[in-house]
Amino acid sequence: MKRIAAIVNGALRTWFRSKTTLFWTLAFPILLMLLFGAIFNVSDDPRFDFYVQNQDVIDGQPSMLSNTFVSMLNETGVLNIKMVDATENTGTYIEEKGVEMMLIIPEGFHQSSLAQNASVTLKTVPIEVDTTAATVRGVVEQVIEYFNIAATGQNPPQVVTMQLEDLVSNNYRFIDYFVPGLIGMTLMTTGIFGAVGWNTRNKELGILKKLATTPLSKFEYIIGVILFELVMCTISTVAILIVGVLVFNVTILPNIYSIILIVAGAITFPGMGMVIARFVKETDSADAAANAITFPMMFLSGTFFPLETMPELLRQIARVLPLTYLSDGLRDSMVYDNASSALYNTAIVLVVGIIFIVIGSLITSWREE
Amino acid sequence: MSNQAVIQVDSIVKKYKDVTAVNGVSFTVNRGEVFSFVGPNGAGKTTTVEILVCLRDLTAGKAKVLGFDVSSRKGKQQIRKRVGVLPQDFNTFDLLTVKENINYYKRMYGNVGRDTDDLIKLVNLEHKSKTLYKNLSGGLKKRVAIAITLANDPEIIFLDEPTTGLDPKARRDVWKLIEGLRDQGKTIFLTTHYMDEAQVLSDRVVIISYGKIIADGTPSELILKHGGKTTLIVEDGKKEAYEVLKTKFPKARIENGDVLVPINNKSDLPNAVMALNGNKTKFGELIVRRPNLEDVFLNLTGKKIVDGELN
Ligand SMILES: Nc1ncnc2c1ncn2[C@@H]1O[C@H](COP(=O)(O)OP(=O)(O)O)[C@@H](O)[C@H]1O
Ligand SMILES: [Mg+2]
Repeated sequence: MKRIAAIVNGALRTWFRSKTTLFWTLAFPILLMLLFGAIFNVSDDPRFDFYVQNQDVIDGQPSMLSNTFVSMLNETGVLNIKMVDATENTGTYIEEKGVEMMLIIPEGFHQSSLAQNASVTLKTVPIEVDTTAATVRGVVEQVIEYFNIAATGQNPPQVVTMQLEDLVSNNYRFIDYFVPGLIGMTLMTTGIFGAVGWNTRNKELGILKKLATTPLSKFEYIIGVILFELVMCTISTVAILIVGVLVFNVTILPNIYSIILIVAGAITFPGMGMVIARFVKETDSADAAANAITFPMMFLSGTFFPLETMPELLRQIARVLPLTYLSDGLRDSMVYDNASSALYNTAIVLVVGIIFIVIGSLITSWREE
Repeated sequence: MSNQAVIQVDSIVKKYKDVTAVNGVSFTVNRGEVFSFVGPNGAGKTTTVEILVCLRDLTAGKAKVLGFDVSSRKGKQQIRKRVGVLPQDFNTFDLLTVKENINYYKRMYGNVGRDTDDLIKLVNLEHKSKTLYKNLSGGLKKRVAIAITLANDPEIIFLDEPTTGLDPKARRDVWKLIEGLRDQGKTIFLTTHYMDEAQVLSDRVVIISYGKIIADGTPSELILKHGGKTTLIVEDGKKEAYEVLKTKFPKARIENGDVLVPINNKSDLPNAVMALNGNKTKFGELIVRRPNLEDVFLNLTGKKIVDGELN
């Protein structure tokens, strides 16, 4: 145990003192996020659009009270209202336009208002996903209150009530998509370059040979290296998340899947790195080999742009890359709150991770034959 | 000094695919001696060391270190605890300080033995203990490596070419450290291709060439047996001095303008000097050269070792 702690301790000190490694594992992903965030966040943000579908239409004209209600919404001036034709299928429309907030005034609104039992339905993404939803809900509540007072001179009794429905939005901002991918990418580069660099460098210096003459076992050594990678990956991930939340207001749903995914990622890539280090002996060529693997994987795994936008051939390739599943899983769990898909991706990354780390550990040469 | 054997090697053979690196080597090392394994690059020194410290399995033969069999699992565990190894060309973590580096390896042994500050003092690096390893000169790096080798207060210290690539001053510092360790009663297994180093430091020398031992003994035994004669060198004596000396010394010869006269007994030297003097022969200087281990190697193999390579 002391020996493993010594390995982790030594490696962490080395990491903190190496400016290049610190740059690639911490500064680079954060710079990348700031850069991409700045470039892609200027496009107009669909979140502030507030869709209203007035279904209470009589002879092609909105009913009087429903029309009044819409005007009152308009008068608040804070909502960017877009009217949706009453003939549109609500569900399809939401999906196609990527609607995040929609108010539905049902058929018969005028009649039921007179009977003092009308209701409207406000569909929004969960407020944990987007805090504007809370603001909008407040505004609509205000409007309803005014409407009630205007209609009856008192409040209660209520004329109109509001029903809330959650929307699963598929129209996240680019940065929401990008941050989990960035974490996946960082886990990959940190893991692969970490393991390759650490092992080839230490082999070149004779440190591995020296360690092999001590009572330290290969098993302890590898556990130490993996723990080190895990700590390094956790620090990188947390740093990215902190900047993401502070600068871009990225919404992160912490849950068990993301934690398992990060652990699984933190063993998959060092495992791959060990495999590379075993076959490529010199430091320089090992670096080149690591680059040759990480770069394509970075672009083909949907780190920067969704796989759906890629040609079929590239999508096929993406399907065999572990980073694809890691990034997808992180998105499912951290952003989309899509538990079943997160579970699927987590399971794949975990299994692949275990396979790689076992193979990597077995073939890492320690004592010579 | 007790003559207790701490390393016993019996006809060991090590084959790599098509190379036989060590070919039937036998020797013993006694407790408390500085034992040198001398030979050119590729002779099989490192391979032998790596077998003895359980880094490699042997192909045939038997070897025991401190009474433990290097081929048994239990033996290996015991040996690893008790020996200290400085691998050839060893360097440690660039971005750890001297002290952190030594601590690192000490933890691998469960922090037995002397404490880190003692080790730092032993190699005279007190003023550098907080310096990063990468910022040290080659000589100081080697001293850190030696301190690391002593991390577990080992009974036997294996030093594989500890002075290769060092400047003369740093080499001498390492020699002093080795002498200090011997004075503390440590057994030292040293490999080198520097004959002068072996001669100065060793209690016993084994010369190895192409995987086979070609000589084994104390430096003076080897020189006496294989070193050849003491030689009088008549610098710049040329033909003239040669003519004067050749009647009394038929084995005299000219080499690069110098006349070399083998000295066989006590009277040879004065006789030669008198002959030169009597004839008013012109020459540069007179030098008496005693044979050394280099001559031993030359006489045994017909070759010299220059920068580790056969020449
Ligand atoms: N891992 C290896 N694989 C194949 N051949 C090797 C290996 N290590 C050493 N050799 C060969 O074995 C011989 C002895 O090498 P070595 O023990 O390193 O000699 P020395 O330490 O005396 O220079 C050399 O011919 C060398 O090329
Ligand atoms: Mg060698």
